[in-house]
Amino acid sequence: MSVEKQKALTLCLTGRIVSGRKYANYLWVIPLAVGFAAWELVTRFNLIPRSDMPTFSNVLVVFFHSIQDPLFLLRIVQSFLNVASGIILAFSVALPLAFVAGSKNRFDLTLTPIVMLFGALPDLSFLPLLVLWFGPGNIAAIVMASVAAFFPIFFTVREGTKNIPRELYDVTAIFKSDRVSTFTKMVLPAISPHMFSGLRLAYDFDWEIIIAIEIATHVAGIGSFIEGSVSTGSLATGFAAILAIATVAIVIDRLFFGTLESWARKWA
Amino acid sequence: MGLTDPHVQLDSITKFYDAQEKQLHALNDVSFGIEQGEFVCIVGPSGCGKSTLLKIMAGLDRPSSGQIRFQGDPLFGPHPKISMIFQSFGLFPWRTVLENVEYGLEMRKVPRNERRGFSRQYLEVVGLAGYEHMYPKQLSGGMKQRVGIARALVVEPEVVLMDEAFSAIDEVTADILREEVAEIHRETEKTFVLVTHNLSEAIELADKVVVLSSRPAKVKKIFPVKLERPRDRTHSSFLHIHKDILHLLKEELENTIIRHKLRGIKELQKLHDMEISGEPGKAKSQFVT
Repeated sequence: MSVEKQKALTLCLTGRIVSGRKYANYLWVIPLAVGFAAWELVTRFNLIPRSDMPTFSNVLVVFFHSIQDPLFLLRIVQSFLNVASGIILAFSVALPLAFVAGSKNRFDLTLTPIVMLFGALPDLSFLPLLVLWFGPGNIAAIVMASVAAFFPIFFTVREGTKNIPRELYDVTAIFKSDRVSTFTKMVLPAISPHMFSGLRLAYDFDWEIIIAIEIATHVAGIGSFIEGSVSTGSLATGFAAILAIATVAIVIDRLFFGTLESWARKWA
Repeated sequence: MGLTDPHVQLDSITKFYDAQEKQLHALNDVSFGIEQGEFVCIVGPSGCGKSTLLKIMAGLDRPSSGQIRFQGDPLFGPHPKISMIFQSFGLFPWRTVLENVEYGLEMRKVPRNERRGFSRQYLEVVGLAGYEHMYPKQLSGGMKQRVGIARALVVEPEVVLMDEAFSAIDEVTADILREEVAEIHRETEKTFVLVTHNLSEAIELADKVVVLSSRPAKVKKIFPVKLERPRDRTHSSFLHIHKDILHLLKEELENTIIRHKLRGIKELQKLHDMEISGEPGKAKSQFVT
């Protein structure tokens, strides 16, 4: 064995590569792998009965099988569309309200206490009413999701608007910017870091809300699919569905919000 | 525009504004004229309303009465020939240096390539060639203000207003920047108006220094500065003017303090009188307000 190889090997064994800058971002893989391994061992040796918990390898097999099934994918898409519609609906109402609340003190004093009051209520407590009004379907789910998404978007945008320095408004005025370009070229970018964190929070909230509603009211989606699988005893399918949701939620979070946030990090 | 009209004329500008349910009298009958190409510095005790005056000249704020005339015409709101440099630079952090400079031209719908070209020229004037694609957060205070200066100049204004433009920058950089602004003034022959609390700065740059009184601000006195440029801060005539203005400002400040003290004494006297006349309750409420 050459000296270089020996050096490389000892470096690996002492874990210095892992602590190196290049790999440090992936350290989280270790506890995750340990967790999965523990799961596999515990179930493989029946420390937890298979009827309560499938083995990890079994879940993986079912997972890769399921994601080739169009009906399974359609359910995930359905849930995702509900989440997205809820956010878009909430955003289109919350953005103008929050902007006016953030810039006009009187409006803020009129509206924000009421928003806080409703925000303090557990969102899902409205669900039975929504089901009564709209029936147990996608509309109730979307309305519920938009209610849940409203609060983080409203408060972050309002905060962002309040934080815009007065001087920047003076700059837009000096160069005779019209109302529309003041909003699109000054206000929107100025509040965007706040707005992005609000949207991200709303996205996280809405996945929980949508899954909960699908389980509770049997709206077609991945939530009701999990419920169905577990109640009929096919736990591995349920776990595979959870794994699928996690994958979709994380990938979209990274792709969409990750991109937005890395843009904001460049200058903020 | 009459031949005798100054470039910018302030006609008895008076400004009241509401602050915490009390009406504040900020400016009282401020009048003076500014000639084309003149460098005017406005100084006064802090909080006297000099920044308010500049905002009114910029068209960002309206006077309660009186008017600004620019080239003979009354001013309503911001004017394309009047530009401004801000105390905290007023840069958009999400725009690069070049994009910040471009902003004014963009608002005037100048085609992209054209405005890029102009902006690059002015970045060169302020010594920031090569920094086009940096973001403001990557720049020092002095460099940020250079961007602010380029942004103000690229729209080819006739009047450049500066609100404490050097006060958020370290002393040495500010000194260099002042010299550069003086040079730009000399070369472009634009009209400059600088609001500042830094007396030496005012005398170094100004053709005339307008001294405002404390609130409500009036024009206390106008000092023409006829020293040779570039100016030497240690020159005896420089120091002489400095001493004169400082004396005036100190006097003004002392008067204000005495006025405040007198008001305090009067109020105490009132309280005292009331207690003697046997109305302690009323006296107490007076004291609270």
